[in-house]
Amino acid sequence: MIYFLQTLVGGLGMGAVYALVAMGFSIVYRTMGLVNFAHADVVMIGAFLAATLFVTMHLPFAVAITLAVLLTAVIGLGMERILRPLESKDLNLMLIGTIGFGIMLQSVAIVIWGSFGIAVPTPIPNVPIDVGGVIVTTYQLFVLAVSGIVMLLLYVFLDRTKLGTAMQAAAMDRSAATAMGVNVATSNAIAFAIGSAIAAVAGALVGPLLYVNPTLGVYVGIKGFAAAILGGFGSIPGAIVGGLIFGLIEAFAAGPLSAYSELLTFVVFAVAMMVRQTGIFGERTVDRA
Amino acid sequence: MTSPNIAGLTVQDLSVRYGRVQAVSGVSFSVADGASLGIIGANGAGKSSTLKAIFRLVDSTATSMHFNGTSLQATQPHHVVSLGMSYVPEGRRVFAGLTVRKNLMLGAYRSNWRHLGDRIERVYELFPALKRFDSALAGALSGGQQQMLAIGRALLSEPKLLVLDEPSMGLAPVLIDDIATTLRRLRSQGVSMLLVEQNAKLTFGLTDRCIVLENGRVVKEGPSSVLRADPAVRQIYLGL
Repeated sequence: MIYFLQTLVGGLGMGAVYALVAMGFSIVYRTMGLVNFAHADVVMIGAFLAATLFVTMHLPFAVAITLAVLLTAVIGLGMERILRPLESKDLNLMLIGTIGFGIMLQSVAIVIWGSFGIAVPTPIPNVPIDVGGVIVTTYQLFVLAVSGIVMLLLYVFLDRTKLGTAMQAAAMDRSAATAMGVNVATSNAIAFAIGSAIAAVAGALVGPLLYVNPTLGVYVGIKGFAAAILGGFGSIPGAIVGGLIFGLIEAFAAGPLSAYSELLTFVVFAVAMMVRQTGIFGERTVDRA
Repeated sequence: MTSPNIAGLTVQDLSVRYGRVQAVSGVSFSVADGASLGIIGANGAGKSSTLKAIFRLVDSTATSMHFNGTSLQATQPHHVVSLGMSYVPEGRRVFAGLTVRKNLMLGAYRSNWRHLGDRIERVYELFPALKRFDSALAGALSGGQQQMLAIGRALLSEPKLLVLDEPSMGLAPVLIDDIATTLRRLRSQGVSMLLVEQNAKLTFGLTDRCIVLENGRVVKEGPSSVLRADPAVRQIYLGL
């Protein structure tokens, strides 16, 4: 039982990070219908920016993560602006454009930071806390708390603000939203900026857990992508639940068969997708006469 | 022909093509302030494309296309509604995953959202059936209720001209009567109307003038009462 709870806690920590990455994929997808294949590399850039500002420039972590989030959001805006001409032609071209943008981000990261990377210390003293026999580290709690706050902020933005409502409307029916006065191009740009900002949070949080290097995106990004699909691509609650479940599958797979944990994780994922193709929160459109 | 500076909508020589398909060819019409115009025609005659072109949702060419003196061709798609013209799209196109209230509020996206309470109440007076679904998702409404919502949403911007694309589509006759009654009430309140319909009988009853489109061209136009009596129109569009 202790072992079970221990694994559960460990899984939720990484799961929260996957959830953040998945939310970035989902917000762009639900707004534009576009899978942003550069998203994994945006996570990596966010991790590098946060690590550089925190480790190399000795800024306080809160300042480092805020600056990293802002800078990465600007990168997201830039990416949407550069790829925008492709959108009106063919969304598939834009999708390929995001793949290209991702490769470019990786190359830029190697040019700036080299191919080795940065080891990041935890921003708060990483003390183990004994909760009824289960060991929880303060950094795990920190990751969960920050992720939770980001999720709440995104929910409030989408559900309670005028701009968030307009973005949801644009996602559901772009021409109807345009006729109502919503500028869909702006809505897309904001989706990219928010997705990238959340990616930077994920990157900054995962830095101390993993080694920050140019291929970090492959490690975290693919799992975040899988988590988004598992939860139901495009659904924000789905991204959160998918991320947490993915973290848990991985943690439980790591115990008995650590060498095969990745394999087992993706096998479980594949089986889950065969059982329910739309993902957990997959949206089915209702068509009524 | 009408000058672009008169109050209301003027469209001259409008054409829309999708690749090689010419959907609308050289259509001209005008809807004066306070007036109402019907566009009737069969499926694929170019009715919806004409409306989409006015709202700048498809690419089009025209010698002139103005609303209250403002060139629509020089207006960005998301600014058209601010000119005082609002759109009830074909197939209702409500935002299914948002609540009824939010759908209505989006109709007034260009207005300050703090002061919409009265406008929303007025829509609920017009369509009492919507009121109890205030916080329900629009996708859960019946077809007729969704049509009411689409009209209500378009009214939230307090338009001078209401543009409706096939509001009777897919509705039971009793619901069509309800919608017609409401539209008549709006007309009496001074709202101008541009109504596109396959249901010619409904259109003649709601409009002063009509144009008939065939293969993207205007083949007939005149006062609705005259067209209603036209033998050719009666045969083709009223099945009499």
